Amino acid sequence: MSLLLIALLPFLCIPLPLLAVHYGRTACAWVTALGPAIALALLLGSAPTVFGGETVTVAWSWLPVLGLELAFVLDGYSLLFAALILGIGLLIILYARYYLSESDPMGRFYAMLLAFMGAMLGIVLSNNLILMVIFWELTSISSFLLIGYWRHLAEARQGARMALTITGAGGLCLLAGVLLLGEIVGSYELTTVLDSGELIRAHPLYELTLVLILLGAFTKSAQVPFHFWLPHAMAAPTPVSAYLHSATMVKAGVFLLARLFPALAGSDLWFFLVSGVGLATLVFGAYGALFKDDLKGLLAYSTISHLGLITLLFGLGTPAGAVAGVFHIINHATFKASLFMSAGIIDHEAGTRDIRRLGGLRHKMPHTMWLATIAAASMAGVPLLNGFISKEMFFAEVVVESERLGAAGWLLPAVATLGGLLSAAYSIRFVHDVFFGDSRESLPKEPHEPPRYMRVPVEVLIGICVAVGVAPALVIGPVLDVAMAGVLRGEVPYYSLALWHGFKLPLFMSVIALGGGLLLYLWRDRAEALHERVFPAITGKGTFEAVLAGAVALSRGITRAFDNGSVQRNLAWLLTAAIVLGGYGLWTGGYSVGDAHQTPAPWAAFGIWAMLLAAMTALVVLHRNRLIALILVGVAGLLSAVTFIYISAPDLALTQLSVEVVSVILLLMALRLLPEHTPRESSAGRRLRDGALAVLGGGGVAAAAYAVMTQPFTTISDYHLVNSVPGGGGSNVVNVILVDFRGFDTFGEITVLGIAAACVFALLAQGASATESAHRESNHPLMLLVGSRVMLPMMVAVALYIFLRGHNLPGGGFIAGLVATVALVTQYMASGIHWSERRFTGSYFPVIGWGLLIAGATGVVSWLFGAPFLTSAYTYVDWPVLGHFEIASAMAFDLGVFLTVVGAVVLMLANLGKQPAHGDKEESSWSS
Amino acid sequence: MLTAALNIAIAAVLLAMLLSLWRLLRGPAPEDRVLALDTLYINTIALVLMLSIRFDSRLYFEAALLIAMTGFVGTIALAKYLLRGNLMD
Amino acid sequence: MTHLPVLPILIPALAGFALLLLQRASLPLQRGVSLIAAVLGLVVAVWAVTSAVETGPLVYELGSWPAPFGIVLVLDQLSALMVLLTAILSVTALTAASLRGDAAGRVFHALFQFQLMGIQGAFLTGDIFNLFVFFEILLIASYGLLLHGQGAPRMRAGIKYVVVNLTGSALFLVAVALLYGATGTLNMADIALALENLDPADRGLVQASALLFLVVFGTKAALLPVMFWLPDAYSAAPAPVASLFAIMTKIGVYAILRVYTLCFAPLGDDAGAFIAPWLLGAALLTLAVGMIGVLASRRLRQLVAYMTIASVGTMLIPVAMFTQQGVAAALYYLVHSTLTVAALFLLAEPISRGRHGSDDHLEPGPALASGNTLGLWFMALAVAAAGVPPLSGFLGKAMILRESAGHDMAAWIWAVILVTSLLAVVSFSRAGSVLFWKVDQNTAPGARVTGSELAPVATLGGLIVALTVFAAPVQDYTRSTAAALIAPQSYIDAVVDYGVEGRADAIHQSETPTGH
Repeated sequence: MSLLLIALLPFLCIPLPLLAVHYGRTACAWVTALGPAIALALLLGSAPTVFGGETVTVAWSWLPVLGLELAFVLDGYSLLFAALILGIGLLIILYARYYLSESDPMGRFYAMLLAFMGAMLGIVLSNNLILMVIFWELTSISSFLLIGYWRHLAEARQGARMALTITGAGGLCLLAGVLLLGEIVGSYELTTVLDSGELIRAHPLYELTLVLILLGAFTKSAQVPFHFWLPHAMAAPTPVSAYLHSATMVKAGVFLLARLFPALAGSDLWFFLVSGVGLATLVFGAYGALFKDDLKGLLAYSTISHLGLITLLFGLGTPAGAVAGVFHIINHATFKASLFMSAGIIDHEAGTRDIRRLGGLRHKMPHTMWLATIAAASMAGVPLLNGFISKEMFFAEVVVESERLGAAGWLLPAVATLGGLLSAAYSIRFVHDVFFGDSRESLPKEPHEPPRYMRVPVEVLIGICVAVGVAPALVIGPVLDVAMAGVLRGEVPYYSLALWHGFKLPLFMSVIALGGGLLLYLWRDRAEALHERVFPAITGKGTFEAVLAGAVALSRGITRAFDNGSVQRNLAWLLTAAIVLGGYGLWTGGYSVGDAHQTPAPWAAFGIWAMLLAAMTALVVLHRNRLIALILVGVAGLLSAVTFIYISAPDLALTQLSVEVVSVILLLMALRLLPEHTPRESSAGRRLRDGALAVLGGGGVAAAAYAVMTQPFTTISDYHLVNSVPGGGGSNVVNVILVDFRGFDTFGEITVLGIAAACVFALLAQGASATESAHRESNHPLMLLVGSRVMLPMMVAVALYIFLRGHNLPGGGFIAGLVATVALVTQYMASGIHWSERRFTGSYFPVIGWGLLIAGATGVVSWLFGAPFLTSAYTYVDWPVLGHFEIASAMAFDLGVFLTVVGAVVLMLANLGKQPAHGDKEESSWSS
Repeated sequence: MLTAALNIAIAAVLLAMLLSLWRLLRGPAPEDRVLALDTLYINTIALVLMLSIRFDSRLYFEAALLIAMTGFVGTIALAKYLLRGNLMD
Repeated sequence: MTHLPVLPILIPALAGFALLLLQRASLPLQRGVSLIAAVLGLVVAVWAVTSAVETGPLVYELGSWPAPFGIVLVLDQLSALMVLLTAILSVTALTAASLRGDAAGRVFHALFQFQLMGIQGAFLTGDIFNLFVFFEILLIASYGLLLHGQGAPRMRAGIKYVVVNLTGSALFLVAVALLYGATGTLNMADIALALENLDPADRGLVQASALLFLVVFGTKAALLPVMFWLPDAYSAAPAPVASLFAIMTKIGVYAILRVYTLCFAPLGDDAGAFIAPWLLGAALLTLAVGMIGVLASRRLRQLVAYMTIASVGTMLIPVAMFTQQGVAAALYYLVHSTLTVAALFLLAEPISRGRHGSDDHLEPGPALASGNTLGLWFMALAVAAAGVPPLSGFLGKAMILRESAGHDMAAWIWAVILVTSLLAVVSFSRAGSVLFWKVDQNTAPGARVTGSELAPVATLGGLIVALTVFAAPVQDYTRSTAAALIAPQSYIDAVVDYGVEGRADAIHQSETPTGH
């Protein structure tokens, strides 16, 4: 339980600094330290158990399907790392209190630092691989925020994004690798996976899995060629660099190498990949550090180099190599964090961290000088310091393993020595150029020693460096033992932490490295000149930015190729997809024409259809003149209606006719807002494309329709025919389908009509009100005016007639509504909007609303009788005078349809009519 | 006898429709086309009524009535458009 | 007699009708009616989910006509889940609109309710033609909402939106006609039964219909190559509307799931086998091109719109596997991405308002007055959207990766998902650093954002966190939902019952009147 608390405490404490910052900066730092301090205490409390050889695990179920558990493990190795994270974290909190200036938002800084700390603890304590990936990516995100802390600096923003991109990409690879690992093992539990090394290495997916996981580790630990994000991450405040980018986060990669060591290591692929990359990184980083003028840049490259060294050690794949690797992780964390903090102190007090501008600070900052010198000496591998011991172990391992390379065996020790030599050279440079030599005059600030407590964290770490360096077996031996038991999951090989191993090859390598480093430092001017001649300035950052810019440009090109904003292109894609897919389906499934009964067609019908074709052909030719096109569409509507009459579909014919006239009126109103002629816009190629799509699409649908109509088939409509009168109370099956069998469809469709009216209103209402007063009362043609008023009652009577008989004979609410609409619209045309609105109504919304409500209410009423929505009922009554009469609830529903149609269509037409025409040019051109 | 007469009449009406369509396509003035459309509507009423007699069905009468009505209103709309450029003012 | 299945449709319908009557009433009254209806809808939706779990598919025969002769509504777990998701979005979107933005148009609330009616109807109907009707309702209503408040970009985007989608509706009719021509029925469960004894002469027609439906639903879901109506429309829409639109692409996904696991399942050996290769290809390409669009975006809303497309691609990849685990993972990701995209659209509004002159263009602008709060929310939602740990997007993607590991195309699927995830990280970090960090110091900061304004975003954010923490119970639900989809017999049995005589005889005997 306390293990869970340790892992989650930093997260739980995130809000504390944000609240405490209002009580002063020192209070803020203290409150921030509270969580990590408790966690550290709890951790040390569990330490005896771990030293006793036990492994503590806890687990809660989270998402079993994914194999994800909230599971933590505390063994020697995770104990070591957790202690490093919390211990150095506490020192960093103290240091940052003095490092941050008044103007920096401290609460935010500490909150993000805690978030990072929690994520990092999560990585090392996770006992579930997916959980580990989750924390892994969380470190990337919190690192992004911390690097971008000084958001006003361009390099901070770029550095943050670069770090996130590279480590995020690695995290995704890691996720893939971990998922594969889980597939192989059948479990995501770390301890289970670690015990399945044989199985994993024998699996066909091993290589892929290994490469993916290594990509994750290498990006995080800044191995070549993914190293370049780390120097740019130095835009972060120095406490962040010291903590994330030297002591902890970049160690996550090598942590993982060691953690998965029993599961993955031991193959040739592992050896060549890991040690090869490590070796390259070791030399490349050290070489880069030599020529950096920025103190933090130098330290960043040196970190890269040391991470390469550790990677190389794990890459050897031997238990002894792993021991040296883990040991160097500890040592590097201590001396590098103190170096970063020293660099921060120098920057803080002298105002610059450019080595070329610094010098002679030994007089002004003697205390800092001592601290920095000891730490740098440890980095260089000077005896009596911890860096020396792990470097000796490194040399020893390299010498032993060089046999594996056969004839090229000398290469490994030689390159390792070269790395050590470069390391010594830049360490000397760090100390000598800053603290010795002449004092410079033109520093931005007058340098002096930092506040007392800003030095304390450095002093603590230096103390550890010296203690480990002088008495390694005593100070670090037990810790390393228990940690290695965790890493290797069993026997820890014999290794010696002694200072003196006699006059052996590793000692000579150390001597060459230190002496050569000194020489190189003395000749550095010549080396620098050579460096500039040999290596042109290709930077990782430049390449990264160029690749990114290229990707953005490419993506814009691709997006534009698909969508240039043209509606036609969108439609072309849609139709192409439909033709290809529909055609494929028809083709592969087989197209066959059946021999179902076909209605014979007399010559009169052929005459009608010939005219229909002629009209349509003319439409294609003449369509640029919009008025002619509209008239021809009218012809098509009329002739279609005749066809419907001929094939005995009177309901369809009546609907077609009434819809036709309404559309003509609607389109005429739209026409006055448009130019007379359609402009010729498309190129020949586009016309060809559109023509081909039209022919294929139309032809395909026609062919399919022909097949459908010639195939014999049974449908549910037989049921409708039989049940129309007994079940629906109407002998017009079409109407009974509309208001009863499928009344719900009609309910939906009249709603569509109401919505459409609301849309038209929403679109047009604003423009209309302004011009309303401009319309005059007079000037309407007298003949039309009188004629239409006489027509009104007759047309309404037709509408009522069609409505009332609709349930049994062709007609119904929809057609009746349209006829009534036509009657009303005729008045609008003859007498003007003003006159009509005064006599009918100013707003048709209530008509629509009531219509829809009546239809809806008819449906709901059936609930009272325990029946579902829209269940109909009918009865016969004897009315005086009128006689025997049928009353059906469906009639009420149809009334709703009727009202909705009238309201919606008149509303649309009237609102269109209120629109001011563009320039009103027609007025003059036609009336003259 | 009646069938033959009806057939001849239907043929005549079809011819009339064809000629109306010709006028509609030729124009030349928009007014010509509108008038042609109106005539086409009237021809269609005749056609539907004759079909109705021929098939002995009263259902077609409503269709004829509606064609008459919509033809009238359609012509009004087109005429008003040509006259004013505006249907409602 | 429970009327539960019809309630999610009727509540917004009746509220919409009432709002048409209240069109000239005061805005607060309209808001009140609209909000009450939305909350009522949410209560009903929760009831629907519990009832679907407890009693299995609930069939509602409209007009008392039995299937397949009348229209039925079917409330199963999938429908219930979608209904609940819609109801949640409706409440948050409506709250956001009431706090800001519904005053610009005069029929906003009526259109909003009709939009809800259309969406809920599409999820509940068991009849393929009735589905068309609800597609029409939601299309016309969404068009109105899109133009709400007007402006030239909205008109332009609106034209593209409505033309492409109306063409899609026309194709829908063609597809339904072909299917009806071959099977003689419109009820979705009955179509499945009819296709079990398909006349070989009709196979071509049915296949053409099935593939045309993929085009139709693909258009709705915004699949490549018929997805480009979406970015302009969604980025031009008012924030609450765009936020509700987050569910619209999922209607396409829902329809694909429903139709290919139910109606067209008999076309292949396994559920969806016939359509799977097409769907998988389209999904992968959609994800790739969608995420390329995310990277290419110059505005925040555009970025979120392309993110919507990419997420549809992501969730259709496991759908195309048509396995229980795959579909379950897809449904989990569906819930996640809908909530995330909806929240991002809502968040884009205060961000662009705070940057007055620069709007939501991804270029340096004035400092945001509430930059820390907005930035925090942006980061959280970006993490969710990009599928980066620890939020639900990661869990969803990890499940999708895991379920696809055994697939023939596993290498492609993994590569596309992982690379696009990286593109998402790059795009969101670029956008975030420009919007919140790269500040043009010379301009004055905009207005502060009040806490209540962010309440809808916070609600959605809370739900995303809940979805992460309670991933297991949600996954249990989606798994049993997926099981019922992959083996739809219980659905079919609930809808149509031909008894022992079998389908063919029953249809013929329908010639004897039943009445009711």
